[in-house]
Amino acid sequence: MAEGGSLAFVIILVISLPFLLLALFGLVWSIAYPVMLVWAVLFSGKKLNQQIADTASREASLRESHGRDPLTTIDGGYRSDITSCGVVWTGVVFGPSHWHLLIGWFNNLIGGSIDIFQKVVSAGRAEAMQRLRENAVANGFDDVINVRIDTSDMAPQGGKGGVRAVEVFAYGTGVKYG
Amino acid sequence: MEQMVQGILVVNTETIPGMMITETLGVVSGSTVRAKNIGRDFTQGLRNIMGGELVKYTELLEESRQEAIGRMVADAMSRGATAIVNVRFATSAVTAGAAELFAYGTAVKAE
Repeated sequence: MAEGGSLAFVIILVISLPFLLLALFGLVWSIAYPVMLVWAVLFSGKKLNQQIADTASREASLRESHGRDPLTTIDGGYRSDITSCGVVWTGVVFGPSHWHLLIGWFNNLIGGSIDIFQKVVSAGRAEAMQRLRENAVANGFDDVINVRIDTSDMAPQGGKGGVRAVEVFAYGTGVKYG
Repeated sequence: MEQMVQGILVVNTETIPGMMITETLGVVSGSTVRAKNIGRDFTQGLRNIMGGELVKYTELLEESRQEAIGRMVADAMSRGATAIVNVRFATSAVTAGAAELFAYGTAVKAE
C-alpha cells in the first residue's frame, strides 16, 4: 500500500515537473523583470550615450591614422590605380532598451518624430560603418567603394514577445591602390 | 572576408578595377535560412531589456551570411566563373524566429 502510494507520487511528480518548472520560472521572472526594467530606466540612456561616444572616438582615431574616411558610395571609385579588390561586409544587431521602447510608445501617442528611436538606430548604423572601416583597414585595403547600407527588422511582425532590434548590414568593395 | 573567396573574386561594383570582363554567365545566388535557438533567444531577450548591441545575433547573422556567400560562390564555380560582380545582399524575416539571408550577383569571366 505504502509502496503503491510512493510510486503514484513519483509518477505525478514526473508528469507535473515541467509545469512546476514553468511556474517557478514565471515566479522568478515576475520579480526579476521589474528589477531589470528599473535597471534599464536608470542606466540604458547612459549606456547608449557611451556607445555613441565610443564609436565616435574610434572613428576619429581611425580617420587620424588613415588620413581620411575610407568609405565612399561611388560605384567604381574615383582612382584608376587599383591593384586589388574584394568585398568587405559587416553587420550589427542593435536594439532599443525597454525603457526606450516605453518612451517611444509615449511619443507615438503624440505623433511626430520619435527622436529616441532615431538615436538608437543611428547609433547602430554608426557602429556598423565603423566596423566596416576597421574591417577594410585590417584586410589591408585603402578604401571601400560602392558602400551600401541595409537595415532590416529583427522584431516579429505585429506580434508580442521576441527581441526588438534592427540589423544594420553594411557592405562595399575594398580596394588597394598601387 | 578574404579578397578571394575560394579562388573567386567577389566585388559589389559593376566592373572589376584593372580587369576586363569577357563573358557573363548569368545570375548566381546563395541563400540560407537561420533560426535562432531558444537559449540564445532567452539570453538575448534579457540583453534586449537593457538595449544596445545583441552580440550573439550579430555573430549568428555573420555566420549565416558567410554560408550564403559560400553557396553563391559554389554556384559561380559550377558555372566556371572567375569572379562575381555587382553582388547585392538582402535580408527578410520568414517568421519571428527565422531570417533568410540572400546574396546574389553576376558570375563573369574576367581577365
